[in-house]
Amino acid sequence: MAEPEIGGSGHAGGAAAVCAALKERLGHPVTVSGPADELLVAIPRDELPHAVEVVTEFGALHVMFLGLDLRGLDPAGDLAVEEVLAVPDGPVVRLRASVAVDQPSHRSITPLLPAAQWDEREAHDLFGIVPTGHPDLRPLVLHAPIPGLPHPLLKVPPSGETTPSPFRSFAAHGEGVYELPVGPIHAGIIEPGHFRFSAVGESILHLDARLFYTHRGIEKLVEGRTFDRALPIVERSCGVCTVTHATAFSRAVERLTRTVVPPRARLARVLLAEMERLYNHVSDLGNICAGVGFHYGTSRLGWQKERLLRCNEALTGHRYLTGIVTPGGLRIDLDPARLASLAASVREIDHDVRAIVRRLVRSDGFMNRLHGTGVVSAAKARRMGAVGVGARASGLAFDLRVDRPADGYEELAIPIVTQSSGDVAARFHVRAQEAAISAGIVRDLAGRLPAGAVRVPLAAEAEPGASTLTGVEGPRGASWIWLMAGADGRVERLHLRSASFANWPVVAAAVPGNLVPDFPVINKSFELCYACTDR
Amino acid sequence: MPLDVVRRLLTPLREPIVTSRYPDAQPLLQEATRGLPEVDPARCERDGACVTACPTRAIELRDGGWSIDAGRCVFCGLCADACRPEAIRLGQRVELAGTERAALVQLTSLDNRP
Repeated sequence: MAEPEIGGSGHAGGAAAVCAALKERLGHPVTVSGPADELLVAIPRDELPHAVEVVTEFGALHVMFLGLDLRGLDPAGDLAVEEVLAVPDGPVVRLRASVAVDQPSHRSITPLLPAAQWDEREAHDLFGIVPTGHPDLRPLVLHAPIPGLPHPLLKVPPSGETTPSPFRSFAAHGEGVYELPVGPIHAGIIEPGHFRFSAVGESILHLDARLFYTHRGIEKLVEGRTFDRALPIVERSCGVCTVTHATAFSRAVERLTRTVVPPRARLARVLLAEMERLYNHVSDLGNICAGVGFHYGTSRLGWQKERLLRCNEALTGHRYLTGIVTPGGLRIDLDPARLASLAASVREIDHDVRAIVRRLVRSDGFMNRLHGTGVVSAAKARRMGAVGVGARASGLAFDLRVDRPADGYEELAIPIVTQSSGDVAARFHVRAQEAAISAGIVRDLAGRLPAGAVRVPLAAEAEPGASTLTGVEGPRGASWIWLMAGADGRVERLHLRSASFANWPVVAAAVPGNLVPDFPVINKSFELCYACTDR
Repeated sequence: MPLDVVRRLLTPLREPIVTSRYPDAQPLLQEATRGLPEVDPARCERDGACVTACPTRAIELRDGGWSIDAGRCVFCGLCADACRPEAIRLGQRVELAGTERAALVQLTSLDNRP
């Protein structure tokens, strides 16, 4: 395993305490492996909920839950499930339980950990692993079974036949309650999602969101590919979190191959990630204006976003920053003259964005639409596993740049911006302040990137069967890549838990109690991707 | 107070026009812009490294030439990285639309090299 990249004595102590608690409380021998910041704990299948309980007592939060088919490495292998929890100021704990191929089920952890609800449904669709006791086991990812491939991520198709459970929308019933279906095709250049509102008059009782219309099977597509050839696909899981996903993937590969990235590349990755955050936040501020039909804000901030995209293109050759971050560093170096002109442009754009935001905040009609709309309480955000702006606007100080700094972020002191009201206005303010901070980081780093190489070859071949995960704080929050190496340095299994995947259920939970015409602005205030949710 | 309202109403009108008259004006490209990959026939050694490197199978060596399918290319540049004689570069062609599928495939002849 690689050197712990989030090391420190605090982490090691946390790891020891978690290990001790698991060994004592489970009453079974548990095997712990992995570096101190990332514990891989093998547990008996039926102890999964119990183990989750033990780890959550350390304040741990759900990161992801995924299915695995180990028959690709060993034909006599089993299936497995893995629940990943992050202990604050402590390790990432991976609880892995074997699941028999002929009886693929485990006790659901969703009743304990509501944030795992979608993950378990996904493993059910893609592996046929049944979480018994799950409160809502409708299909999630697969809208209709794929003929001949009922559970596409299994390495060996099942011999018996499977009966897909039908999908039914949840709807409220009662006098005066009506259903309002919206989408999946929308009157705008946005991605597809079907939203079914149960409403009384203008008030929403319940929103059932059905996504995954753009499921492309990316996790299946990259299996068996070399890391180099998997990267362009992972990077393009969606169009606007490319640096986030490419960096998470590259860091996972670097951990598996014990590769140390040169200093110039580390800080250049920070610069690129902050440019990504900046143009997304500026764009999302404009989209909140669009959500209430305030076109002045939409068009002015749209123009500022366009200026930032041109900066991206001038610096890297690509408006959305693809093709730069790669395992081992950067694919191309950043030119000093272009960095200097980037710093100057970002200074101007930052100034203009602040002026526009000041004008928006002074507009009472606009701000009235945002205050008190789409409120998510801190307790709800925490329970449902909110990340990023969606969590910070509800008072939860989660930011991987500060919580688990890596790749150059250790050297920066970044303030975590939070708001307490949890409404659209809070998400607006968090973005506005974070955009200004990101602009400052870009200007700072553009002038002082260390000299030297930007890429090193991978230091070793990844050990077949070795796995790791890394998280990167993207514009929408923490995105995690889970990666297992196969033979010859190829991808055996990859799982992308994007920030949008974590936050979509929070959007649906933010809506009840609001008016139907406020849904667009609530949705825009999270501004989640469908593409990297659906994958 | 009325003066402030008037000033606020006038602010948007002072903003300049920022769009350009495309297609009369050329699309705005940067020096670094990575458009469709191009091959230099004089340098190409036909070793097929680009074909192997391409993650979307956009490149073919066929009919005595080097073809690239703009409908498949994702401009990742792995072909240029893999090309030992440095015959491939990502050019400045970004207007890639066609009226039929076949128009997206560009064939560069490798036969009449000097």
